[in-house]
Amino acid sequence: MSNFILRKAEPKDVSDILRLIKELAKFEKMEEQVILTEKELLEDGFGDHPFYHCVVAEVPEDKQSSDGYTVVGFAMYYFTYDPWIGKLLYLEDFYVMKEFRGYGIGSDILKVLSETAVKTRCSSMHFIVAEWNKSSIEFYKRRGASDLSDEEGWRLYAIDKDDLLKISAKKR
Amino acid sequence: MHFKVRAAAKEDCKDISRMIMELAVYENMADQVKTSHEDLERDGFSPNPFYECLIAEVPDEHKTKDGYTVVGYALYFYTYSTWKGRSVYMEDLYVMPDFRGKGIGTGLMAKVAQVGVEKQCVRLQLSVLEWNKPSLDFYIAKGAEDLTAKEGWHFLRFHGQTLDTLAKEAPKD
Repeated sequence: MSNFILRKAEPKDVSDILRLIKELAKFEKMEEQVILTEKELLEDGFGDHPFYHCVVAEVPEDKQSSDGYTVVGFAMYYFTYDPWIGKLLYLEDFYVMKEFRGYGIGSDILKVLSETAVKTRCSSMHFIVAEWNKSSIEFYKRRGASDLSDEEGWRLYAIDKDDLLKISAKKR
Repeated sequence: MHFKVRAAAKEDCKDISRMIMELAVYENMADQVKTSHEDLERDGFSPNPFYECLIAEVPDEHKTKDGYTVVGYALYFYTYSTWKGRSVYMEDLYVMPDFRGKGIGTGLMAKVAQVGVEKQCVRLQLSVLEWNKPSLDFYIAKGAEDLTAKEGWHFLRFHGQTLDTLAKEAPKD
């Protein structure tokens, strides 16, 4: 099936985007961690100050999924900044429904995002992958991705809301 | 020592650029710094900024031997988690060596945390090199959790030639 299109997400796509986010989270064994709602996705992606950008993959009606969906893949990204090299494109989520894999949809999404990165003067496209996710790591490495955690020793740290409140409240 | 933490203004980009280079020289990576203070001005102070920055300033009587009063900075931006929503990512936190141990780093980070909370961010993320023990201790003391250890996350990238190659193969509309 070469019959699919890639396009910029529109406000009407938020329920499909949330559905696909939950499918990906389920695959990563973290489904209960998705607390984002359609309302937040709408406000945060299509309001005055978008926190993210999104590309969706759509198939024609006669090729819809077994559950009747035509939006079958998505990629969510935003721009970040490296003080040494400037703008970067950060790929936050990238997912194609299982029954639509192997048709080049994922490959084309990655190429479109790379083109966006180059056009917007980004030096690099960054993302994170769980180390047990061998098929995804292979997919990226086959296309030339390098692992900065292995090569340079970078580790990801997070401070949650409760601790942020404690840090911000302390007086000098 | 008294110090002030405030939002960076466009005029501070020369100082920010200076400190970025200081940190790179210390890490023996000065040749990897490609951004100029003009790049920082364009990217941080246009209608659509790609980062925000806080600086730490000391009074004139405590200025450095080279005459600088801007002695630290924190550079951050907003990110988005498809699970939890808005987050803040602290890209750089730096205090000049002579001004450490006085609470300036903590003060800068507290202000980033405050900005994050005001913008309804659910968490703050950052990355640290595994050998950088003083930094790891600093962040862990503030509640930071190692997600690379806990959940197995690795940083990957497409850079330079590999990015260009992918871009050239993008389907045409």
